[in-house]
Amino acid sequence: MKNSILIVSCFLISFSLFAQDSAGDSCNNPIAIDAGLHVVENIDGEHFSSNCTEYDAANGNLEWYVYMPDSDYLTTITTDLEANEDLDTRVHIYEGTCDDLACVAGDDDSGEGYLSVVSFYSYAGQIYYIAWDDRWGTESFEFELIEEDPPPPPPFEFNVASVSTVGSERGLVDMNGDKLDDLVSIENTSINIHYQLESGGFNPVSIETTYADNAPSWSLAAGDFDRNGYNDLLYGGGNGVTFMQANADGTSYTEISGSEYVFSQRSNFVDINNDGHLDAFVCHDIQPTVYYINDGSGVLQFFQGPNEDGVSSGIGGVEYDLAPYPGVQEGGNYGSVWIDYDNDRDIDMFIAKCRGGDIQWKYNELWRNNGDGTFSNVADVTGYYQSFYPDAGHSNDSNLGDPVQTWSSAWGDYDNDGFMDVYVGASASGDGGHKLMKNNGDGTFSDITAGSGVEVAPWGIENNSADIDNDGYIDILTNGSILLNNGDFTFTLYTAGTPGPGGIGDANNDGFLDVFNGTNLYLQSGSNNNNWIKIVTHGLTSNINGIGARVEINSPGIGTQIRDVISGSGFRYMSSLNTHFGIGADASVSSITVYWPSGTVDIINNPDINTTIHVAEGETLSLEDSFIEDLLVYPNPTKNILQISSSLEIDQSIISVFDMGGRRVLNYKVSGNNNSIDVSSLNTGEYILRIITKAQQIGAAKFVKQ
Amino acid sequence: MDTKLLNKGLRYILLAFTIIFFNCSMDEEYVHIAYSPVYFNLETMPYSNLSEYNFFQGEIKNLDPVYGVLPYDLINPLFSDYSDKKRFVWMPQEQKAYYIDDSEVFNFPVGAILIKNFSYNGVAPSNETKNIETRLMIKKNEGWIFANYVWNEEQTEAVFDLDGSTVQIEWTENSITNNVNYRIPSGSECITCHKVYDTSIPNGVKPKNINKIFNYGNSTINQIQKWIEYGYLDNAPENIQTMIDWTDPSNSLELRVRSYLDINCAHCHSDNTHCEYRPIRLDFDSTEDLTNLGVCLTPDTDLGNGADLIVSPGNFVRSVLHFRMATVEEEYRMPLLGRTLVHQESVDLVEEWISSLEIDCN
Repeated sequence: MKNSILIVSCFLISFSLFAQDSAGDSCNNPIAIDAGLHVVENIDGEHFSSNCTEYDAANGNLEWYVYMPDSDYLTTITTDLEANEDLDTRVHIYEGTCDDLACVAGDDDSGEGYLSVVSFYSYAGQIYYIAWDDRWGTESFEFELIEEDPPPPPPFEFNVASVSTVGSERGLVDMNGDKLDDLVSIENTSINIHYQLESGGFNPVSIETTYADNAPSWSLAAGDFDRNGYNDLLYGGGNGVTFMQANADGTSYTEISGSEYVFSQRSNFVDINNDGHLDAFVCHDIQPTVYYINDGSGVLQFFQGPNEDGVSSGIGGVEYDLAPYPGVQEGGNYGSVWIDYDNDRDIDMFIAKCRGGDIQWKYNELWRNNGDGTFSNVADVTGYYQSFYPDAGHSNDSNLGDPVQTWSSAWGDYDNDGFMDVYVGASASGDGGHKLMKNNGDGTFSDITAGSGVEVAPWGIENNSADIDNDGYIDILTNGSILLNNGDFTFTLYTAGTPGPGGIGDANNDGFLDVFNGTNLYLQSGSNNNNWIKIVTHGLTSNINGIGARVEINSPGIGTQIRDVISGSGFRYMSSLNTHFGIGADASVSSITVYWPSGTVDIINNPDINTTIHVAEGETLSLEDSFIEDLLVYPNPTKNILQISSSLEIDQSIISVFDMGGRRVLNYKVSGNNNSIDVSSLNTGEYILRIITKAQQIGAAKFVKQ
Repeated sequence: MDTKLLNKGLRYILLAFTIIFFNCSMDEEYVHIAYSPVYFNLETMPYSNLSEYNFFQGEIKNLDPVYGVLPYDLINPLFSDYSDKKRFVWMPQEQKAYYIDDSEVFNFPVGAILIKNFSYNGVAPSNETKNIETRLMIKKNEGWIFANYVWNEEQTEAVFDLDGSTVQIEWTENSITNNVNYRIPSGSECITCHKVYDTSIPNGVKPKNINKIFNYGNSTINQIQKWIEYGYLDNAPENIQTMIDWTDPSNSLELRVRSYLDINCAHCHSDNTHCEYRPIRLDFDSTEDLTNLGVCLTPDTDLGNGADLIVSPGNFVRSVLHFRMATVEEEYRMPLLGRTLVHQESVDLVEEWISSLEIDCN
């Protein structure tokens, strides 16, 4: 009897000792804490892989604490204390149940040196798990939990979730044709897609490919260049470009690797020659830019520089023979983006450029689409292009010629005046800082950086635009921070609770934009009560994605907002091809107007809000509805000049010429009352001239070119 | 007859004989009188095939240089995926280079050719030495041009190719089998590293980097001395600052790291070069100030991986420099061009050096 009592008591003692040592070793056995100072002796508890911090580095062992506030607070967890000098700490904060934890906040180095400081909104009665990580340091340390009255939170809230990805995380874009944005990661031998499910969540699928000659190390672009309903991919690699062409149902891909040497940077899909077929464009770091023209049967032909069979003026770089010896020339092409900066309904291109030295190749370029198959660099501040091609329309009229070292720019109509402005984010400070350039509406830009708030934005390579808080004023995502648009062409910088750089899209189809960065999905789940609308463009005569289309909405309070449909923005990642607008407190949208690259215009009146609207090219027959009168054009037939006679106000109107196949062959915006057009470059045949005035009146006339 | 005149004449004859006698006896050292059989036609260079230059005698794959093609070596070479390199210099008849500065490439004459051959030993399947490419820099009137010659499988010829390509190589060294997807550069890649502004320049062949002993077969002497004797260099100062060999453990970690970075990085990370807009300066003279090396310096680009200083003293895991040297991802690796493998020995050195730093960044 005595012996068994002894044994049992020993057992009980050792059991309680055991229980004492194990507190903090798992989510199920955490150490309970509230406000005050706490000591972490050592970190030896259960590993959990979800990383809530700003750095994409795997977790180590964790030490688990649990916290339940008795009221709503702004709670701060910090190791930035004197006692912790020179230590290195890292912390993750979760909510939920132990078998279903989600990140709330986390931090690695926001404190002095490598100490951690993080604040988050905590709510009465909620349970929060605080897990200290020995990833960087294993010494014992102190931390403090501080509770304060919560100030008004920022107008957005991202929850960070770890995604188990395979390969390089590159895109947030629809891949299976349902127009829901999917997560895309690429390896040389597989395309790994987390398909977004309509019911919520994702279905991860790994699709094997042949070994891709080039990986999308430098950039990924997506677009349906063979019009089969499934987006294809472009891998921008360091030695060349590989296309992955989707099969008839998007379940497998065929590799098409070019043999040409391309040191890729940003890549895009875009209809360069406006023939309705999607082409591709790739920046080259150490040579002129390259482009691939689609022959209409899904074959992409490589071109570099001016070429009669490609783009006769070229779009980036001069002809090989003209360039400075030893013929291996130019480059510095980092961030190309296709937008319509002059609102003449054809797509232009801005290249953010970067290069060391006192040298031509660091000057940014703005290639204005002349509407006739040629482009001119209207940011030619050094006169380089003008010296080689004096009659090709090159100039610095735009005022965007700038040596600032930049890898990408964020285009958006920041003041909602109907014209695209641009934030040119610097990657290094040597040749000037960030620039905020306002579009004056007349083809020129003015530098309004001073006092705008962008001066304090971080340096880096990723700049992109998106309305993060859905207030109807488009914001700027830059290098892990957000420049939130204050609505008056000034911005407020937010650096906490903001997503790292990545593909921007709607990963949970709730109308609030999310970011796929590294192995983290930064998800908004209806951050506020602002309204929104999404538009999906389905091209018919134009390319099937509607890339290059101008989408314009009008809502009663905010007025006009605009977007261009873009494949490939920022530097490295592919963002959604769906067009997203926030409309703030406006309870309706009076109209959506889509200006298609083909020249077709569709107007949808009074669409539903807080939903996705699908627009198929030509479905609204707006041209016929708005058709006002015939024009008189003379002489007819003509060999070169055509005069327009009309009672319509011609200034600022868009003039387009279509051939009998419906293809737009000339396009430009009229300035002044210049009512004569040079049609000498057209082939002989019959054409239709259409004018859309500033007041949206439409007239048309047929003519013959001899 | 005038005796004085006869005497004078005799004296002159005697003098002449003496001179001739001494000239003949010094013939063995006056090697540059001989004529180099390299086929030199500046107008038509670069030729379509390597053999057309006639740089080598016997089987071309053995790289046995003809007279005038002088082999040389660098104290610190560029890392090129563990390939072996043979370097040679050739100059036209009676042309020579001039010394400018210890740290500056010599002023080479028009017509000078720098030759660099890349090969691997123990290459599968036959376990033999295989030449991959032979890179030339030729100084023309308008400046240095590049030419590259890619070797055929049979090793009988190398053909001009500046388009760039990739070769799969498996080789065995010290009983370890290695694989590399070896990159043969295009012309654009050549100039990206070999330039200041847009002017192409050689990189390695500076006085401080060739100031070492070389075994020429019949003699083993200092290379600079040899170039002077050979007639390839006009002159050079007595004392030349010499690069320290980064592999030599008798030198301090810091000197070894700085020497390594000079040859592997300074061509893009110094004044007027490709990435001048970044704050680091990795040429040896600049890195005397450790800030130029990135110590305690925040990088322009946040990689999002926890490495928040270019060099974080004591903390190599958090150092961008270490990360970029240790990765093969082409969007992150440094050097950006010129390697696809990790140079493990240099990564180990940098790790050791960073770990030893006790600098307080605050």
